[in-house]
Amino acid sequence: MTSLDPAPNKTWELSLYELQRKPQEIITDSTEIAVSPRSLHSELMCPICLDMLKKTMTTKECLHRFCSDCIVTALRSGNKECPTCRKKLVSKRSLRADPNFDLLISKIYPSREEYEAIQEKVMAKFNQTQSQQALVNSINEGIKLQSQNRPQRFRTKGGGGGGNGNGNAGATGGAAGGGTAAGAGATAGGAGGGGGGSAVGRNASNQLHVHDTASNDSNSNTNSIDRDNRDPGHSGTSAASANTTTSNAAPSSSVTSGASTSATRMQVDDASNPPSMRSTPSPVPSNSSSTKPKRAMSVLTSERSEESESDSQMDCRTEGDSNIDTEGEGNGELGINDEIELVFKPHPTEMSADNQLIRALKENCVRYIKTTANATVDHLSKYLAMRLTLDLGADLPEACRLLNFCIYVAPQPQQLVILNGNQTLHQVNDKFWKVNKPMEMYYSWKKT
Amino acid sequence: MAQNISPEQSGGAGAGGTKHSDDSLPVKDNHAVSKRLHKELMNLMMANEKGISAFPDGENIFKWVGTIAGPLNTVYAGQTYRLSLDFPNSYPYAAPVVKFLTSCFHPNVDLQGAICLDILKDKWSALYDVRTILLSIQSLLGEPNNESPLNAQAAMMWNDQKEYKKYLDVFYEKHKDT
Repeated sequence: MTSLDPAPNKTWELSLYELQRKPQEIITDSTEIAVSPRSLHSELMCPICLDMLKKTMTTKECLHRFCSDCIVTALRSGNKECPTCRKKLVSKRSLRADPNFDLLISKIYPSREEYEAIQEKVMAKFNQTQSQQALVNSINEGIKLQSQNRPQRFRTKGGGGGGNGNGNAGATGGAAGGGTAAGAGATAGGAGGGGGGSAVGRNASNQLHVHDTASNDSNSNTNSIDRDNRDPGHSGTSAASANTTTSNAAPSSSVTSGASTSATRMQVDDASNPPSMRSTPSPVPSNSSSTKPKRAMSVLTSERSEESESDSQMDCRTEGDSNIDTEGEGNGELGINDEIELVFKPHPTEMSADNQLIRALKENCVRYIKTTANATVDHLSKYLAMRLTLDLGADLPEACRLLNFCIYVAPQPQQLVILNGNQTLHQVNDKFWKVNKPMEMYYSWKKT
Repeated sequence: MAQNISPEQSGGAGAGGTKHSDDSLPVKDNHAVSKRLHKELMNLMMANEKGISAFPDGENIFKWVGTIAGPLNTVYAGQTYRLSLDFPNSYPYAAPVVKFLTSCFHPNVDLQGAICLDILKDKWSALYDVRTILLSIQSLLGEPNNESPLNAQAAMMWNDQKEYKKYLDVFYEKHKDT
């Protein structure tokens, strides 16, 4: 070890490694050495800003490297010692510029701008997964995109291609399990004024954009969620379509006349929106890590993802009821503040564990729903009936097929207030809930 | 390596000390600071360090909450401690303010949660990060510096580890809620 200003009163104690080490031979032939990106990164990184070294400065005595800006600031602000090893650094003159190292970096990463841009992107993505604000932003983004896509769909409204669309719908449904949504929606229409179901479904397609922006391209991941949800949903479809369980196009064929418009509408939508539509609401690419938190949240989003997935695949909407339509469309303009999150639980006493329905539902009895604040309590109970029927599928005893629910809200634990069907969720929220967290509601089975 | 020092030496403990250095330091733009914090967070989540964890407390990247598991084979084994980390705008050139949120009976921790540790004061280096801070505090738990105690009672009791442990159990029972 050499020192530029020799200190006679200092004795250098070499470590064992320093005593043993021999100079490495210079490679002159074409031998290549593989270096892992991680170890390379730790070599090229400034330990202060954790970024790639910029205008490298090296300490003269201990040979530790920093960005020029970083080490200058560190020396000015703290102790006059090497941040890495605490060797005394008297002044800036204890440092020297290291242009060779800068050259080396520019050789490995020719375009620093590009590298930084990529890094920013990674960081942004990372933040997206851990920041709620970012989540809200991406939801808003999704809503915006949604409303951009909307005019397209209207243009084709009433357009031909019914037969064509029919086949298409069946095919897509069969291939991707998207048919479940068609089944759900169509049957909701068939039940007459199934506004709740549709409104939520509509809403779910907004939610879809959240998923897409956050977990774009990780199809394997989203698909697995989809798959998880497919089975109960699919069997639900067959249950909903009653006796026609063989064909994939069954949902559309089994709908009653009241809902036929909705079925046609759905097909038109499907025909007019090529599959590529699906990838449009995903401006930000994503890495696999970003999807992990999403997966963790799947308890909360299972309800949505199920529908949003199918919605994305088919882009189908049921709008047999004009009332639903305005509700759904309005949602895009109203923005995120007009959405309400709900937790649906079985009524603690009326829906106890030995209840037939609860026994059949098992862990599915608690539902998380996000919907527009315009939806009424009636909508919800219809939706809930629909949803639970679908979940239960064939297991459901015949007698319980058409379920009716009473909806309660619990402003205080132990205090359940039964809700009037005409109230919108917004009103309920204002009147009973007030706090900024998912509104807890309870359902009980109306035995009519 | 990390020695704890008396707070008098560092010229005022806690927020006061950092505030002072904040003023005298060239404040780097916030972006650079939050960028570094984001990177630390990313590294921390990838590293999956045993015994410690940390995450921003809400939306503000400048405030984190960390947890430390009491080191094994010490009287603190089996306990989990929550700490708050407040990063100044001059981070990483100035140390964050680190405090115990969970009550901690320790020679170098006062009852308000303030920690007496040199690397958080005059021995701070820009190379320290959340991970190393938490690891340092974790090792401080098992190896207190009884020369400059913040909690004199704890320092006095430290020599008799059996009694100390007994006292700790009573202490935790009393401070269960915090």
